[in-house]
Amino acid sequence: MNEPVSEIILSAQDVAKRFDTQAGMLELFREINLEIRRGETIAITGPSGAGKSTLLSLLAGLDLASDGSIAIAGQNTHTLDEKARAELRSRHISFVFQTFHLLPELNALENVVLPLEIRGTTQATDRAREWLQQVGLGARLDHYPAELSGGEQQRVAIARAFASAPDLLFADEPTGNLDEHTGEAIIEQLFQLNTDQNTTLVLITHDNHLASRCDRRLHLHNGKLQEWPQ
Amino acid sequence: MTSGSLFKLAWQQTLSAGRLPIWRALLLALTVAIAIATLLAVLGDRLEQSLGRQTAELLGADMTLHSSRPIPQAVANNANTLGLETSQVAQFPTMIEAGENLLLISLRAINMPYPLRGNIVTQPAQVGIPEPGTLWAEPAVLERLSLEVGQQIELGYAQFTIAAKLISTPDRGNGFSNFSPQVMINQQDLDATGLLGPGSRVRYRQLFSGDPEALNKLENQLRPDLASGERLITLDSSNNINGGALNNASRYLRLGALLTLLISALTIALSLRRYTLNSRDRAAVLLSLGMTARQLQGLFLLQLLLAWVVCALAGTAVALGLEQVTLYLLDDLLPQPVPSAQPALYGLGALLGLVSLITLGLPPMVAMSQVSVMHLFRRSATPTTWGGRMLQLVAGLMLTGLLMLYLDDLKLTLILIASLLITAWLLGKLGAWLLRISAFALAGKHTLVRLLRLRLQQQQRWHQMQIPVISLLLALMAISLWARSDLLDRWQSQLPDTTPNHFLINIQQHERDGVDQLLQSYDLQSQLYPMIRGRITGLNGEPIATAFTEQQRQHNALNRELNLTWGERMPAHNRLLSGEWSSQSDGDEVQLSIEQEFANTLGLALGDKLMFSIGSHTVEGSISSIRSVQWESFQPNFYVIFTPGALDNMPVSYITSFYASGEQRKVGNQLLQQFPTITLIDIEQLLAQARSLIGKLSDTSGLVMLLTLLAGLVLVFTTLSQELDQRRYENALLHTLGATPQQCQQLDLLEFALLGLVCGGLAAALGEIALWFIHQRLVLIEPVLHPGNWLLLPLAATALFTLTGLLARRRVDERNSYQLLRRLG
Ligand SMILES: Nc1ncnc2c1ncn2[C@@H]1O[C@H](COP(=O)(O)OP(=O)(O)OP(=O)(O)O)[C@@H](O)[C@H]1O
Ligand SMILES: [Mg+2]
Repeated sequence: MNEPVSEIILSAQDVAKRFDTQAGMLELFREINLEIRRGETIAITGPSGAGKSTLLSLLAGLDLASDGSIAIAGQNTHTLDEKARAELRSRHISFVFQTFHLLPELNALENVVLPLEIRGTTQATDRAREWLQQVGLGARLDHYPAELSGGEQQRVAIARAFASAPDLLFADEPTGNLDEHTGEAIIEQLFQLNTDQNTTLVLITHDNHLASRCDRRLHLHNGKLQEWPQ
Repeated sequence: MTSGSLFKLAWQQTLSAGRLPIWRALLLALTVAIAIATLLAVLGDRLEQSLGRQTAELLGADMTLHSSRPIPQAVANNANTLGLETSQVAQFPTMIEAGENLLLISLRAINMPYPLRGNIVTQPAQVGIPEPGTLWAEPAVLERLSLEVGQQIELGYAQFTIAAKLISTPDRGNGFSNFSPQVMINQQDLDATGLLGPGSRVRYRQLFSGDPEALNKLENQLRPDLASGERLITLDSSNNINGGALNNASRYLRLGALLTLLISALTIALSLRRYTLNSRDRAAVLLSLGMTARQLQGLFLLQLLLAWVVCALAGTAVALGLEQVTLYLLDDLLPQPVPSAQPALYGLGALLGLVSLITLGLPPMVAMSQVSVMHLFRRSATPTTWGGRMLQLVAGLMLTGLLMLYLDDLKLTLILIASLLITAWLLGKLGAWLLRISAFALAGKHTLVRLLRLRLQQQQRWHQMQIPVISLLLALMAISLWARSDLLDRWQSQLPDTTPNHFLINIQQHERDGVDQLLQSYDLQSQLYPMIRGRITGLNGEPIATAFTEQQRQHNALNRELNLTWGERMPAHNRLLSGEWSSQSDGDEVQLSIEQEFANTLGLALGDKLMFSIGSHTVEGSISSIRSVQWESFQPNFYVIFTPGALDNMPVSYITSFYASGEQRKVGNQLLQQFPTITLIDIEQLLAQARSLIGKLSDTSGLVMLLTLLAGLVLVFTTLSQELDQRRYENALLHTLGATPQQCQQLDLLEFALLGLVCGGLAAALGEIALWFIHQRLVLIEPVLHPGNWLLLPLAATALFTLTGLLARRRVDERNSYQLLRRLG
C-alpha cells in the first residue's frame, strides 16, 4: 500500500515504564523497541490493564518513559521540557478518543475550526467545512454534538483530528463506544483519510477484525510488546 | 490563536456554562456578594452623612462649647480667624409671671447669626432672631399663661412683646431644665431684664460651624485647655435618643452583610472548585488540540471576567434598587434630601467581587491548566484534593483579610480564626460520631440500615469535611435570624406601649404628697424619686485631679452637677450586677449604688469611697453595689443612689415619669393648675418618632437578612448537589453488592436526613454560643437562650437536606439515563 521505504516518524528504544504504587513498584513493561514509518497503520492490542494506554501516552510524548528513549519526528522527547514537548505534539500529533470529546457548546463546524484557529491557520472555516464534507457531514455543519449520533460525533472528531494535518494520529479505542456497524464505517473513514493524507495511524483496539486491517499489529502482554507476523 | 477567537471561545463556553447549576450558583453568589457590598458602602455613607447633618441640626451647629462662665471673646476671634462661623448663646431657667400664673421657663438669649445649622420655625413666620424688645415663646408658655401673640409680658424688669409662637428650634441645650418650655430673646435685652444676678444658673455656649478641617483645628486647640465646668460637644460625641438604636442597627447590618459575604465567598470557592474539576476533560481536549497552558488559563480567566461583568451589572443594579427601597422606608426619618454617596462607592462591590473571583478562581484554574491529555485516556487516577490546598490557603487569607477589615483588630481576628478552625475540626469529629450513633440506634430494623453503615463508612471523609461547613453555615444563618429577632424584641421592649410619656420635675418637698395623690387618683403608675444636685469632689480621700486619669476627668460626671437620689429599694427597671443593695446605711457609713458604665469609665470598684459636695455640705459614701440602667427607658435614671437618711436636710425636689393615655391625659392640666411651679414635659411625639425609627430599621435589617438566607440556601444546595453528582461511583459499588437503585436512593435520603439532623443540632448549639458572644461583645444585648430553635433548626435542616437530596437526585438520574440512552443510540 505504501512506498517500500519511507522515513521513520516515531521510534522507541529500550523503553520501560514503572509506577510507584502503594503495593510497591509496578513495572508495566520494559525493553520495548519500535520503529514506525510515515504512513503506516499500527494496531496495539492486549488484555485490559496490560499498559496499552500508558504506552500510547509515552509514544505521543504526553509522559516520559522510566528508561529508554522515544523520538518523535527525530526529536528525542527526553531532552525536551514540557513546553517544548507540547509544541512538538501540536506540530505533529492529533488524537481521537473513545468518547469523542467534542466541545458541547460548539457546533460541528466550530469544533473542527478550533484546532485550526489555535494554530492561527488562515481560511480556517473553509478548510474545516471541506473536512466535514470529506467525512460525509457536509449537511450537518451547524448541528451541536448533542444533536448528533455517536458515530456522527466520532466523524466530527476525526475531521477535527485531520484538520491540523498531523504526521501522527493516535486513537485509543476509537470504536469502543459505537455499535459494530457504525464502528466499521468509522474505521473505513480513518483508513481512507490515512491513505489520502499519508498520515501515520497508531490505534489501540480490542477488535481483532480492526487490528487485522492494519499494516502491522503489536500485542502487549506481560510487559512485552510482540509484533504479530502477518 | 488570535485574541478574537479566544474571546469568542470564552464567550461560547460561558454561555454553555450558564446551563450548569454549579455555574448558576456561582453567578448567584457573586451577584449577592456584589449587591450587599455595594449596598452597604453606599447606604452607610449616605446614612452617616445624613445622621451627621441631622445631629448638627439638633445641635444648631457643628460643634459647641458649653461653659458655666461667660466664654471669652478670644475664643470667638480665634474661630473667626480659622474661617468658622460662630455665635454665643446664654440660657438659664427662670420664672415668668402673667396675672396670677407663674411658670418655670428656660430662657435663651441669642445673637445673630443663629442658628448655625437647622432652622427655627415660628408662627407667624419670622426671619433671623427676635427683634430687641420682642420675644418668641413656645405654645406651652402661651397656653399655660393664657397669653396670645401680640400681647405684652414682663421678664424681670423688662417689658417684651410676644412676636411669635416658637414651633420648633434646634439647640435646645441639654439637661433636664431645658425640657422646660422655652422662650427666646435677643441678647441685647438681657442686661435690661436684670435676671443675670448672682445665683442665677446661667449656662453659656459658643456655637461653631464651617469647614471640618478648621473645626478639627479649633477642637484641638480648645480641648486640652477645657476648665472644669466646660464641655466641648462635637457631632460624634453628642448622643441623641436614637443613637443607641441606630448604632446597634448599623452593627447588625454590618454583621449580616459580613455573614452574607462570607457565605457567598464560600459558595464561589466551592462552585469554582467543582466547575474546574468538571472542566478537566475540556481542558485536556483543548490541550490535545494544541492549545498552550497559558492560552488555556487566558480562556478560563476570560470566562471569569465575563461572569464578573454580568454579576457586577446585576449586583450593582440590585444594590441600587435596595438602596431606593431602604431610603423610601427611612424617608420620613431622614432630613431630605439625603446627601448622595461618593460616586466611587458604587463601584466598590463590583471591585470586591472581581478581587474575590480572581483570588478564589486562579488557584483551581492554574491547577486545571496543568492537566495532562493523558487524563482523557485513563480517568481512574483522579486526585480528589485537586488544587484544594492552594484554594484553602487563599480562601483562608481572604477570610482573614475580611475579618480584619471588619474587626479592625489583628489579634482578635487570629483568635477568631483559630477558634473557627478548632470548632470545625471538633464539629467534624463530633458530627461523624453522632452519625454513627444514630445509625446504631436504628440497627437491625431494616436491610437499609446495614447498607447505611456501609455508606457512613464510605463517606466518612466527606462527612468530616461537610459537617463542619454545613453546621457552621446553618449556625451563621440562625445567628443572623436570631440576632435580628433579639434586636427587635429588645428595641420593642425598650419602648413598650406603656413607656412613660410624661415627666414631672421640680416637685417641691411640700408638694410631694399632693402630687402623689393626684397621680393615684388618675390610676397612674409612678414612683417619685427625690433629686438633689451634687458634684463629685474626691475618691478614697484624694481630690479628683489626682484620683482620676486625664481621660477619666473628661467624663461628664466629673464636670457637672449630678442628679443624686436615695431610696430604700432599687428602682424596678435597674438590675443589680455586683455587690448587694443596701436599704440603710451601715452604722455611720453611707452606702452608694452606682451605675455600671459610670463605674467602668471612672474605674470605680465595690468598697471605693466617693466624696460629694452638695450645696454647702460634703457627704462621703462607700460603694456597695453596681447596677445596670436602661438609659433609653424614659424612666428617671441615676448614676448614684444613696442610702436613705444620708441626704436629709438638704434642698431636695422630686421627679417622676408616668404613662398617661386617653382620659388620663387630663392630669396634666390639673397638675399645672394645682402645682404651678411644677414642670411637666410631654414626650409623646418624641416617643412616636423613636418607635417609627425602630420599625423602619427592622424592615431594613429584614432586607439584609433575606440576602443572607438566599446566599445560605444557594450554598447548601451547591454542596449537596455536588456530592450527589459524585455518588455515581459509590452507588455503582452498592449496585454490584446487590442493592437496587431504589435502595440507593433511599439510602441517600436517609443519609441526608440524618446529616440534616446532626448538622441542625450542632448548628443550634454553635449558634447559641456564638450569639452569646456577639451579644456580650458586639451588639451589647442581654444574652438569652433560644430553646424553640433547638427543635426547629434540626427539623428544618432535615427537611432542607431531604428536599435538596430529592431535587438534586432527580437531576442526576435524568442526566445519567440520558447518557445511557445516547450511548446505546
Ligand atoms: N499513574 C499511575 N500510577 C499507578 N499505576 C498506574 C498509573 N497509570 C497506570 N497505572 C496502572 O497501569 C496499568 C495499565 O494501565 P493502562 O490504562 O495503560 O491499561 P490498558 O492496557 O490501557 O487497559 P484497558 O484496556 O483497560 O484500557 C493499570 O493497572 C493501571 O492501574
Ligand atoms: Mg486503555
